[in-house]
Amino acid sequence: MTFPFRLIGWRTGLRRAAVAAAAATLSVAAWAGGSGFGDDDDDSAEAGPSYFGFVRDTSGATVSNAKVTVSLKNRISIVTRTDALGTYKVPGFGRETDPNEIEVSCGKDGYRQLRVVRRSTPSADPKIPIETECTLQRL
Amino acid sequence: MLPLIALSGLAVAAAWSARAGAESAYGDANAQPAPFNPQMAALMSMLIQPRHAKLGLAGNAENWPLAAYALKELRQGFAVAARAVPRWKGLPVPELIEAAVDQPIKLIDYAIKLQYRRQFDEAYGRLTEGCNACHATTEHPFIVIKAPDASAFPNQEFEPKR
Repeated sequence: MTFPFRLIGWRTGLRRAAVAAAAATLSVAAWAGGSGFGDDDDDSAEAGPSYFGFVRDTSGATVSNAKVTVSLKNRISIVTRTDALGTYKVPGFGRETDPNEIEVSCGKDGYRQLRVVRRSTPSADPKIPIETECTLQRL
Repeated sequence: MLPLIALSGLAVAAAWSARAGAESAYGDANAQPAPFNPQMAALMSMLIQPRHAKLGLAGNAENWPLAAYALKELRQGFAVAARAVPRWKGLPVPELIEAAVDQPIKLIDYAIKLQYRRQFDEAYGRLTEGCNACHATTEHPFIVIKAPDASAFPNQEFEPKR
């Protein structure tokens, strides 16, 4: 009567051993393939590229607290402000959105927008943001 | 039956143990040395944070030759980090570093050349603010850098030779 119980236990043990062996193999493989010392946390890819850039004045200095509007043509606009480094970042609008339909504009009291330059072409890697630099000219 | 199963279990464990001896969780002792490829966190801890501290300690002691050396080392550390990791989480590292520290580093350079303590303190404060602004931009606002309030280098003299 005890045999089936033992048999089940043995099989369970084997299954557990197999799982442990697989896990050990995977962890060794992952270590061996690791490329870096102190690898940083790497978040999963976002849905579609984000939008990032600097706002600068005509001297090339970054402009903090500038208003930046990132718009999907005639549909959605996200308004943000540049941080202390003069950068802005807006999350992606989704994989299905064509980055070429996104427009960026910037402004700040006492300035007018001089030009907007997209600095990188849309990348296949969703972790690489679409970079757009906006230049303001003091009035 | 039971002793047989126990014996098989021991054999499997011994086999695994032998394998583990050849290739541990920390790698294979017989493998070719891998290229040393420190990433951003390690680069900041190795090349930037200690040099920022040494610069502050040297300036605080008005040891201007040492401060000049520490500033040069810090500037080179930023250049190495930007070359080693040109993009971090997709963000352009050289431009972020330039926006964060380029201007304060120039001001510190002038202050050291003029041996002007007050300007050094002000520019060093701006450098530290730049570090923290960059940490905020890169979503690490919890890493807060400050001027050193004590030396972490007990085997180095920061006071100038009089």
